[in-house]
Amino acid sequence: MRTIFQALWATGFSFIVACVALQAHAQDAAPTAEELAAEIQAIKQEYEARIQALEGQLEAMSTAPAQPAQPMASPMGRKTATTDNVFNPAIGLVLDARYSTHSADHDFNPAGFQVGHGSERPLEGLALGHPELALSGNVDDKFFGAATIAMDAHPGESVELALEELYVQTLPGAGLPDGARIKAGRALWTFGYLNEIHLHADDFSDRPLPYRAFLHEAFNDDGLELSYVLPTDIYAEVGGGLFRGGDFPFANSESGTSTLSAYGRIGGDFGRNGAWRIGAYMLAGEAHHRSGGAHDHGHGGEEEEHAHEEGEDAHDHDEEMHHDEDEEMHHDHDEEMHHDEDEEMHHDDEHLHAEEEGPFEWANIDAFVDGEFSGDVTMYAVDARLTWAPTGNPREQEMILQGEVFWRVEDGMYSLPGEYDTPSFSDSTSMGFYVQGIYKLNRNFRVGARYARLSPPDIPACVLHEDHCEHDLATPNLDDSVAYAVMADWTNSEFSRIRLQYNREEVHKFVHGPDPDAVLFVEQDDQILVQYIMSLGAHAAHTF
Amino acid sequence: MHRFLTRALIAGCLTAAAALSALPASAEVRVFACEPEWASLAQEVGGGDVTVYSATHGGQDPHHIRARPSLIAQIRRADLLFCSGAELEIGWLPVLMQRGARIGIQPGQPGHLMAAEHVDVLERPAVIDRSLGDVHASGNPHVHVDPRNIRVLASELAARLGAIDPDRADAYQTRLADFHARWDNATAEWDARAEALRGTPLIVQHAYWAYLFDWLGLERVASMERVAGIPPSAPFLQEVLAHSRSTDVKAIIRANYEPTDAAEWLSERSGLPIVELPSTVGSYPEVSDLFSFFSEILTRLEAIPDQSASVPGFRQPTG
Repeated sequence: MRTIFQALWATGFSFIVACVALQAHAQDAAPTAEELAAEIQAIKQEYEARIQALEGQLEAMSTAPAQPAQPMASPMGRKTATTDNVFNPAIGLVLDARYSTHSADHDFNPAGFQVGHGSERPLEGLALGHPELALSGNVDDKFFGAATIAMDAHPGESVELALEELYVQTLPGAGLPDGARIKAGRALWTFGYLNEIHLHADDFSDRPLPYRAFLHEAFNDDGLELSYVLPTDIYAEVGGGLFRGGDFPFANSESGTSTLSAYGRIGGDFGRNGAWRIGAYMLAGEAHHRSGGAHDHGHGGEEEEHAHEEGEDAHDHDEEMHHDEDEEMHHDHDEEMHHDEDEEMHHDDEHLHAEEEGPFEWANIDAFVDGEFSGDVTMYAVDARLTWAPTGNPREQEMILQGEVFWRVEDGMYSLPGEYDTPSFSDSTSMGFYVQGIYKLNRNFRVGARYARLSPPDIPACVLHEDHCEHDLATPNLDDSVAYAVMADWTNSEFSRIRLQYNREEVHKFVHGPDPDAVLFVEQDDQILVQYIMSLGAHAAHTF
Repeated sequence: MHRFLTRALIAGCLTAAAALSALPASAEVRVFACEPEWASLAQEVGGGDVTVYSATHGGQDPHHIRARPSLIAQIRRADLLFCSGAELEIGWLPVLMQRGARIGIQPGQPGHLMAAEHVDVLERPAVIDRSLGDVHASGNPHVHVDPRNIRVLASELAARLGAIDPDRADAYQTRLADFHARWDNATAEWDARAEALRGTPLIVQHAYWAYLFDWLGLERVASMERVAGIPPSAPFLQEVLAHSRSTDVKAIIRANYEPTDAAEWLSERSGLPIVELPSTVGSYPEVSDLFSFFSEILTRLEAIPDQSASVPGFRQPTG
């Protein structure tokens, strides 16, 4: 309370002094000494009266009974200046640029997985990474709002903005019971560990294989999510959501409410300086004409239906449409040229193969690579994370172990656009996981290693009967793709980090060719990445 | 099939959640203290009527704590949040409060008690910029290292506990009166011991001790961190070293949780002794409460040999 009086006194006193000085200055023109003296006397009397009144008030305040339970409006002794920008949202800009080099090409397309924007390898050479602009703030006493705009700066081209997040979330005090929150809009939803985390906060420069294959980096559909922290001694949280069904692995939902999620998490401490958390998650929805291309987000549906109609009349058109989609998928023009040529070649080959060499072949392998999927998709995930700081100070030294496993069940069919009469039915499970360890040596240096694995689904082979897939016969022996990564990074402050990373990917890919025995090959890619990540301005606190 | 499973899962979760919420709340007031000193004070004033949880322990730097799951669980059920405030916990407390979503401990509620809002805060910066390091716009948050502040906060705490748990408001006031009596005795004794220390020139590693220096009238000759929160740099340490030679300095002060290397480097070259002080209750086994916390600090300061850094015959810097 003492400080409030001091502040009041100081403010009152300086006000009086200023007034006296101003008055005196104004009278400076040409008053006589008597006039001036009289004037000053009058002012003096007036202010003495005012000071007395003020003193009286202060005395009354100090003798009034204290009201301890009253919350303090603001830290005491500070004047609150109300200017426009006080209520501006917190603004943060993440600066991310990198140098990458790899021995194979930019495309990452493991057999059995549709890939798209978010799953490709980083661009060869110097390029911007994944810069983000984040705005956030309390809307009022009940809601918090945030938006994250990701900038994909393709070299030599204009910047492509992606609205990665835009949501409102209830604040405690919104009227929900203790422990409950609702988030609505578009957000990095609760599914596994990394999905909720912004890319710049990852411990490695790229997402692990299962994230690239199953989620195309992250699941950030439009929707809403309810979460509830249970009033238990051990940390336990449950939640569920309802989503549009527009983001991979879902696509083109007709109802716009076709995807559901549910999750549960528990966590706690071990010893004085360790903490753990494990979770189980599920995500279930539908996909309609899902291609691997970039963000579907609703508007893709019409195009694809359009493709459907045209494709039935003319095969040539269908081929064209197919290429168009590729164009959406691959932003690098050079790559795309290459891809197109390849495509035409293998299509010719395949037709030859089918017509000349008999009725047996791997059914519609292309459909699994470049085609569309329609059907039910259910994903399950389990994650675990364990942190331990030898002295309890994660800033000085820390060890983090983390792993996630994903399963995806796709029950539906794959087909090339327009070739909907000859689909490949799929009811199989693919799996992927990664484990990683990070060791923080001291305030500035960290090292880490990661192992990731991807098990493709069974891809049915069939007997071709007059260009029609009769029934499943066998499955090609698809092996798992694996990736190893090691990294070392240097952290100057919590706002700047420079990282060096080496990746080795061994990816099983389809070969398009006439020889059925050589349908698969392993592509080995050695990558080196150098990256900086810095953040300007507001920087959201990271969760566990 | 999957759809059914999902619905069953959601329904199951919600039922379980509802069942657990309906459990009767514990009779005691649950206090979530961000730092051990506030946990200790809550124990003094709350006694058996409160359950106290401390988010950190005496070996931890309270600036940098992980918002770990156990803290979310604890804050979810807390009736009173008792922290230093002044942005000390800004890296982890807001996210806990949002995740725990406990209404009674939000700002503006009686269950939200920030120590720095109730005492005179020192070192409020005039300029704020990230290049100046981890500056706290609201001033130095380590307000607990002054027994006069502890006294003020004990009163505030008793009043808050009384507001949250009116049935036992009298019990809190009785315990407060008892604590104040013991505290005033101890403070008088410490003040007497402090006379001999008044004016002692010291170098500090981090601006942790502003309130201690203010209380004891110690003289801070230099801080080893040019900017708060950024580890000392070699050129700046050279400056501090030069400064320590030209001035009469008795010792280097560092908190128990701080890294030792910079203080050792300076000590080796200047010949000044390092005095390690407990940062809070529980920093050492013998520092078990607020009383032993302050007496341990005084004992360690009194042990500083009465030699001057500027006396000739000092070891010259090597290399």
